[in-house]
Amino acid sequence: MRTSQSRRAAGLLATLALTGGALLAGAAGPVAAADPVVLSVGTTQDLDASNPFNTELVVGYEAFALTYSLLVDFDKDTHAAPGFADTWERAADRVTFKIGDNRKWSDGEPATSEDACFSWGLALAAIADESYIGSGYLDPGVKDAGVTKIECPDANTFIAYTADPSDRIFQVYVPILPKHIWGELDYTKIAEETFDAPLVGTGPYTLAEWKTGQFARFVRNPNFWGKQGFADEVVLRFYADNTDTMVQALKNGELDYVHGVNADQFKQLQGDTATYTAVAGAANGWTQLAFNTYGTGTGKTIKGGGASTKALQDAAFRDALGYAVDKQVLVDRVLGGFGDLGDTVVPPVLTDYHVTPDTVRTFNIDLAKQKLDTAGYVLDSAGKRLDKEGKPINLRLYYPNTDDNYKKVAQFVQEWYGQLGIAVTHQSFDSDTLTALLLPPESGEDGALAKYDIELWGWSGSPDPNGLLYVFLCDQIGTSSDSNYCNKEYDDLYALESKQGGAERKATLSQMQNLIYDEAPYDVLYYDANLDVYRNDRFAGWQNMPSNGTPFFTYGTLNYTLLTDATAVPTPGPTVVATAGATAAPGATTTPTATQPPSTGGTSSGGNMTPVILLAAVAAIVLGGWWFMRRRKGPAVEEE
Amino acid sequence: MSVTGITEPDLGLEVVRRRGDRARGFIARGLGRSDGRVGVAILAVFAVLAIAPSLFVGPLQTVVTATGSSLEGPSSAHLLGTDEAGRDVLNLTVHGARISMTIGLMATLITIVIGSLVGIVSGYVGGFVDTVLMRISDFFLVLPTIVLALILAPIILDIIGPEAEFAGIRATLLVIVVVIGVTSWATTARIIRSQVLSLKERMFVDRARVIGASSLQIMWRHIMPNVVNLIVAQAVLTFATAVFTETTLAFIGLGDPTAPSWGELLNSAQSSGAPGLGAWWYIAPPAVSVVLVVVSFTLVGNALDDLLNPRTRRR
Amino acid sequence: MSAGYFVRKLAQALVTIFAIIILNFVLFRLMPGSPERATRNPHLTAELIAQNRARWGLDKPLFPDQLVNYVQETLTGDLGYSIKYRGQPVVDVVLEAAGPTILLIGLGELVAIVVGLAIGARSGWSRGGIGDRIGNGLSLIFYSMPYFVIGMPLIIIFAAGLHWFPTSGMTTPGGNKDLFATLWDLGRHLVLPLATVSIGLIGAYSILMRASIIDTRAEDYITTARAKGLSDGRILRSHAFPNALLPMVTLIAINLGYVVAGAITAEIVFTWPGLGTLTVQALDARDYPLLQALFLLVAVSVVLANFLADLVYGYLDPRVRA
Repeated sequence: MRTSQSRRAAGLLATLALTGGALLAGAAGPVAAADPVVLSVGTTQDLDASNPFNTELVVGYEAFALTYSLLVDFDKDTHAAPGFADTWERAADRVTFKIGDNRKWSDGEPATSEDACFSWGLALAAIADESYIGSGYLDPGVKDAGVTKIECPDANTFIAYTADPSDRIFQVYVPILPKHIWGELDYTKIAEETFDAPLVGTGPYTLAEWKTGQFARFVRNPNFWGKQGFADEVVLRFYADNTDTMVQALKNGELDYVHGVNADQFKQLQGDTATYTAVAGAANGWTQLAFNTYGTGTGKTIKGGGASTKALQDAAFRDALGYAVDKQVLVDRVLGGFGDLGDTVVPPVLTDYHVTPDTVRTFNIDLAKQKLDTAGYVLDSAGKRLDKEGKPINLRLYYPNTDDNYKKVAQFVQEWYGQLGIAVTHQSFDSDTLTALLLPPESGEDGALAKYDIELWGWSGSPDPNGLLYVFLCDQIGTSSDSNYCNKEYDDLYALESKQGGAERKATLSQMQNLIYDEAPYDVLYYDANLDVYRNDRFAGWQNMPSNGTPFFTYGTLNYTLLTDATAVPTPGPTVVATAGATAAPGATTTPTATQPPSTGGTSSGGNMTPVILLAAVAAIVLGGWWFMRRRKGPAVEEE
Repeated sequence: MSVTGITEPDLGLEVVRRRGDRARGFIARGLGRSDGRVGVAILAVFAVLAIAPSLFVGPLQTVVTATGSSLEGPSSAHLLGTDEAGRDVLNLTVHGARISMTIGLMATLITIVIGSLVGIVSGYVGGFVDTVLMRISDFFLVLPTIVLALILAPIILDIIGPEAEFAGIRATLLVIVVVIGVTSWATTARIIRSQVLSLKERMFVDRARVIGASSLQIMWRHIMPNVVNLIVAQAVLTFATAVFTETTLAFIGLGDPTAPSWGELLNSAQSSGAPGLGAWWYIAPPAVSVVLVVVSFTLVGNALDDLLNPRTRRR
Repeated sequence: MSAGYFVRKLAQALVTIFAIIILNFVLFRLMPGSPERATRNPHLTAELIAQNRARWGLDKPLFPDQLVNYVQETLTGDLGYSIKYRGQPVVDVVLEAAGPTILLIGLGELVAIVVGLAIGARSGWSRGGIGDRIGNGLSLIFYSMPYFVIGMPLIIIFAAGLHWFPTSGMTTPGGNKDLFATLWDLGRHLVLPLATVSIGLIGAYSILMRASIIDTRAEDYITTARAKGLSDGRILRSHAFPNALLPMVTLIAINLGYVVAGAITAEIVFTWPGLGTLTVQALDARDYPLLQALFLLVAVSVVLANFLADLVYGYLDPRVRA
């Protein structure tokens, strides 16, 4: 019996070896032929909600925009394009949208103007109650477009009455939801829905499966009335805090597209133009230090919460801190050159509106110290900066775990503020957790105490600057505001510019940009490029949206339907590379690639060398172990 | 895991000799073995690096004082290349020795103090106290340190706040130390206890009792000197475990990002994409250091342990 | 094995499990903002939160009401709702992740036991020989390597470098694969994590088996067998090996807890969707209900494994049987 035991063990070993060998042998071979075409997209964000009203992340927007059409979509230049509505007509006080006949949801139910009225009606109801839906990120767009009333006179017509003649109504990012499914719910109830997969939508691909923290799978919607995509399925895979695994999956062909790689990875992949196209998309957004100014303009306090020092409510204090941050160093060392120095809260890609502030802060630690002294924040004998209550200032800096760059920035900030005598402790959180941590009591969440000092995170906006400017409004405290800043003057200016156009609007926007810059509830660090990379071997027809942007994670989902089969095109490589080559440098603003060729050559050959080096290391360890064991022989035997 | 029995025949007989002498003689014998010697040699190198890292590689580089650019390969300026922020990897690894070994040392101290106290008291006093202490140690013996640490560390951090400081040590570091210490004393306690149980029956203890020594005195004067060997051997083995555990916890993200221990370095290497970028120089130094230190401590610990008990035990 | 031994061991296991539940309760209530903290979950509706407050007795005193409530709920398998997983019951979330971990760890244990015992037995039998030096040296090094240190180079070489295996995950999402294709896909994803876990475990088993064989080798019956003229290999296989296995039974069972703990880091490196990856997600999200359920699950399975080990040991070892 005992011998049979060990024989069984040997048999098992043999089986395992065989299985392993078989797996190995087949690993390189092609997969079964009849497989559906799957477009796999990797991102560093982890989908937080499939309910459009509850997501706060770019990946969440991408997910719901795939499933649900917007009333008006975006074309490749981010201009208005047919979406749920085919055509529209602008009158002075209204826009009349026409929805085509015989349109269907993915479950076959008719899609009519009723669905649009239901969806926009949710937002309007929330606005009427001076409330918001879910996390409150989508409905402000309807308000911001000046929409006062909506009507659905027949199944093909949707009329929106507007208080101002702006084009913002064509950029409203409220998805059209199926009334036949959610129609019973009001705006508070819809926010509590979990939107479990599979979902019924009118978008090009509808959510079929979502494994939290792993992937979301979308299937092509046969009833989509735009161009049917080439891919049968789209899979968004999540790599929170793990760009390394993501990039390796891209290299291994498991992913076709990755969003948000770091500069080193980007440069390496950029070197291999035959396999990859690397796109540094100019950002319509930024990375900021948001100071918790809770109480500014409202005088409110939070019991057991809020910022750790009142100094953060003082514009002079925040202004002084601005001189202690060397943005050029951040762009060079953190972004590897892929970005522009930050100043105002209108990104430079919005060339019509961006202005350079009147008084620019430049890096000067001594000046920062001097300004702090003048403002009444003096050093104690131990070299610690005291607030006006005489307490040493210790700032808590929090950031999400979605981007490696944040950790580096945090270390720089810690060093620089440290030189001023201000201690900084930094910590990263899961996006969801961080949001919960930042929210003040106004959010209505249980236990929301806004217990932070500085938030290091970023925003990306819509084609109209209002998409980012509204974050600083008083009524955003408790929803999107992460500085808890409130200033009546700013609110008034915002109301004013929303009704203006042309040069007038530009002048008001300039005033607002300067106001936020001088008051400094935010220190906009940089406008970081979106570093995306895709493979050329499976899909062709990539289109940057807009031309200085990236194919995915931008506005609308047009690109998902534009892709074609790369293997079917006779010469797919060169054409694709040519298109992308022209756009690889993000506009006129950045010149990151000037000195690239030598370093990328080095890195990529280093990449090929790695397995060899590691094998050598393993061999060395084995040999070392053997040598070492040889040495211990004699005495060890004697010992017993 | 319990120890089956103590086989050394001479243990506990030469009570007259002073505690220190005994330990020294015992260590010397442990080091007489060549594997023990190799272990000690490696450890000596790391100890020197840990005591005065700045002497060899200058002060710890920060993102601001970094001397290189992102992920440079090894060169004469940077013998082990640079990390993603341009810091010299050699500099970080050497300073990492200090942080990792300090954490290991502090955690070991806590483990050994708790373990020895519980072991001696439990073994000597016996009865109800013994039962209770051993049930508690059962609990910690059964539950793996890392699993306990995973739930304890974030909760403790949440309670005291990550920005708290105690005696100049950041809470995040301290929590790791305490968590490792508090969760890994049970093995030591068990081993010491079984030794104390046999010592208790020896003549010299009886004699001390007869001449009216108090229990405390007996434990301190008579029992303690006779288990000090075991304690030393256990401490060395515990150190290996502590360094190992710290590395794992830091890698998972429970470490202190401002104190680059080896685990923390590996965590940064992974999150900055070093494996995929082929930046082996960023991964290998901390990884090899951890393995070397753990192997060395295990060798020395085993060499010492073998003198008392021929059976090896798990980490 | 006597009934007394069984009862004693069973009582010990039950006491430990109870202690774990109490610890869970205490930690839960120690957190700042408790008991509100316990119900704060952005993914739950106001009604559900109110329901939970009532059910968990959060408005009643900590002791005895809340404790009794907690123990009751735990024993009936109600561990609250996950934050990260949008209000799903944590029990469901944990059970879903248990499968992949059991698969990975189970197979990993199997491979490690077979290989580890073989190496250890060979090593110990030919003590001091070249095979012993290499085997034991490697075992010690593997034993000292954290799982992620083993896994990272494997990914670099075999996934990113040679493209033999996928880098991460357990399946390729998408497509409608038939059973064979699904298994194939799973198998390819499994190879590297499995290798990592096995390599990490081989060390411990081999080192212990070696010591055990060395002990056995000195026993009388081996000398007798040798005197009978049996071949060396035969003696190892039919006499030394089976007897040296006895202490291994305990080790394997006790090791289970450490395996799960170590697997956490192996799973992270490969984003294997098991309990380890889940634990890290729960940590990142500070999802305490989930973290507690994970802790409870791991702790209880470890206790049960130990209990089983005691039983097996008691059955096999005549000295304990009395």
